[in-house]
Amino acid sequence: MTLDWSVVWQHRDALAAGTAMTFALTVATMAVAVPAGIVVAVLRMYGPPPLRAAATAYVELFRNLPLILVVYWAFYVVPILTGLGLSALATGLAALSLNVTAYNAETFRAGINSIRRGQAEAAMALGMSRSQALRRVVVPQALRRITPVLASTWVSLFKDTSLVSVIAVSELAYVSMQLRAQTFRVLEMLTAMAVLYWLLGYPQAKLVDWIQRRYQVTE
Amino acid sequence: MTAGDAAADAGDRRKAGGATILRYRDVVKRYGTFTALAGVSLDVHAGEVVCLIGPSGSGKSTLLRCTNGLETLDGGDIEFEGTRLARDERGLRTMRQRMGMVFQNFELFPHQTALQNVAEGPRTVLRMPTAQAERRAAAMLAKVGLADKAANHPAALSGGQQQRVAIARALAMEPDVMLFDEPTSALDPETIGEVLSVMKALADEGMTMVVVTHEMSFARRVGDWVAVFDAGRIVEQGPPVRIFDAPQTVRTRDFLGHLGWAG
Amino acid sequence: MDFDLAVIADNWRFLAYGVLVTIVLSIVSGATSLAAGLAIALLRLRGPRWLRPIVVLYVDSMRAVPVLVVLVWTFFALPIVTGLTMSPFTAALIGLTVHLAAYAAEIVRAGIESVRPGQTRAAVALGMSPAQVMRRIVLPQALVRMLPAFGSLLSITIKDTAIASVIAVPELMRQSETVAGQSFQPIEVFTFAMLLYFVLLFPVTRGVDAVYRRVAHLGRS
Repeated sequence: MTLDWSVVWQHRDALAAGTAMTFALTVATMAVAVPAGIVVAVLRMYGPPPLRAAATAYVELFRNLPLILVVYWAFYVVPILTGLGLSALATGLAALSLNVTAYNAETFRAGINSIRRGQAEAAMALGMSRSQALRRVVVPQALRRITPVLASTWVSLFKDTSLVSVIAVSELAYVSMQLRAQTFRVLEMLTAMAVLYWLLGYPQAKLVDWIQRRYQVTE
Repeated sequence: MTAGDAAADAGDRRKAGGATILRYRDVVKRYGTFTALAGVSLDVHAGEVVCLIGPSGSGKSTLLRCTNGLETLDGGDIEFEGTRLARDERGLRTMRQRMGMVFQNFELFPHQTALQNVAEGPRTVLRMPTAQAERRAAAMLAKVGLADKAANHPAALSGGQQQRVAIARALAMEPDVMLFDEPTSALDPETIGEVLSVMKALADEGMTMVVVTHEMSFARRVGDWVAVFDAGRIVEQGPPVRIFDAPQTVRTRDFLGHLGWAG
Repeated sequence: MDFDLAVIADNWRFLAYGVLVTIVLSIVSGATSLAAGLAIALLRLRGPRWLRPIVVLYVDSMRAVPVLVVLVWTFFALPIVTGLTMSPFTAALIGLTVHLAAYAAEIVRAGIESVRPGQTRAAVALGMSPAQVMRRIVLPQALVRMLPAFGSLLSITIKDTAIASVIAVPELMRQSETVAGQSFQPIEVFTFAMLLYFVLLFPVTRGVDAVYRRVAHLGRS
């Protein structure tokens, strides 16, 4: 068995591009899924009953589906349903966003609910309105609990971007597997893919640990 | 002669004639730079109820935990039934079988019923067959007045009931000495009485007991010997009559005064 | 847009087989990763000192690398290294176990560390050996406390089996892809697949929650 690791170096530009796409997908998805998650969470907690039910149904649905299926479904079904001719990239982004928004909504909801009701009551007893109490007392505390979870979701999302490779979006996994097919250097390319993800993901995981330690809830 | 000198008070000691079950000699225990025990000497004789009183953080519980090896000594000696406390785990385990410990937070095993809790020691440590262990457990539960709660999990029991089960669990090992670490401090006032009754009954049967407690009336009525702790030392020890009615040292008087002890 | 359910009816056996494979793969890899996770956690907590950094490295690495990458590497690259060929199902089983065991190990470790130290003290005071303390007192309580987290992990396991479609394991995702490709009716097929997965997954976390609520008191010390 002869191994030729130079193929990895030869194609470093393509791999770098794939990596950049992975990051871009992650950032773009979070940019959508954080505000959207807040909206869904607020609807779920404070909205009128029909919206509350819809928000709950949305969250429960997407938390109970495999992301890879959502990706396929978005790719084949959304163009037909909406009549839009979306690129694979946009479709992948949509699928990721739908998925992560649901998780974020749950994170925000749990974070806000975890603040003892007495906090809001104490604030309102001082004369604050409900929204003031939320903004100045509950949300800042909830953020301390939410931040570590969001960081963890970020890392999961980073890994989940690999799933849009199945609809030929040129992120790192797709690029690596294309190169494998082109060069026939299976072990080298797949190992390089694993190592690259490891190099990117390991520091992120450690950062999440640090964030969790720093925001440790001591109540 | 200092107020904490045990030998000098031996004449007042009712049960000094019995065998020495526990002997503490200049026991030292440090946690980093903090000295929890700064040279404690004390004897416990067979059948005695020795009560350790004093402010929080004065070292009473630490001494108890050193007794059965849950904490290691940094200086001095502890002798149990004439033998120095073992240094190795296996030796300690054997000695622990003859000491019973009751904790402030009961520490019943939540995944087991009261009967299983009490039978656990005989079963797992003494390797008794389950049926025999459970028979002994049933007897112990009856002894503390909880025969009808044998099938209940701790979650279904009140604090006082849980602590009584904990006492039964320790008794099931048939120990030579019972160590109580603030047994009633975590209890509601209504349930303290039932636990103290069980402890008094044990004392009346002749069990050797070392009790860390804030229940001064218990120490006064049931104790045979009282040691007053302060900042890691015994500042005074003697029969309860003397300690409570005629304390010799300022520290003791201060401590009792702060408790509102009016005799 | 009309919804033609005939394609589902015509291919139901094929899809049902996919459901079966999904369930079997989930249960088996769930069990193996639980067993492995338990062993790894105990090794980390009570094993030799030099083993700990290795375990930490393994656990953190699985947090860094996507499941897709692990599965693809196991199926395509591992045979080159070992010289052994394996079926897609076996590769998926190995890959999923290796990946999930890391998470299971963390859950077990957190569970064990969440048992009050007083419980250990009480058990030691009775004269139990460390092994007895772990086996009879700490682990039983820890296992109860870990139930919700394990429910989550089972849910994740089932979802991750869908990724095994990439290495041609005939589970539900793969079977759906095949039917959708052959029939040119992706909407019906994939929507039906979504329904099936939802029906599989929704009760899992709910069920675990319900069980946990009934036994939670057994873990609360």
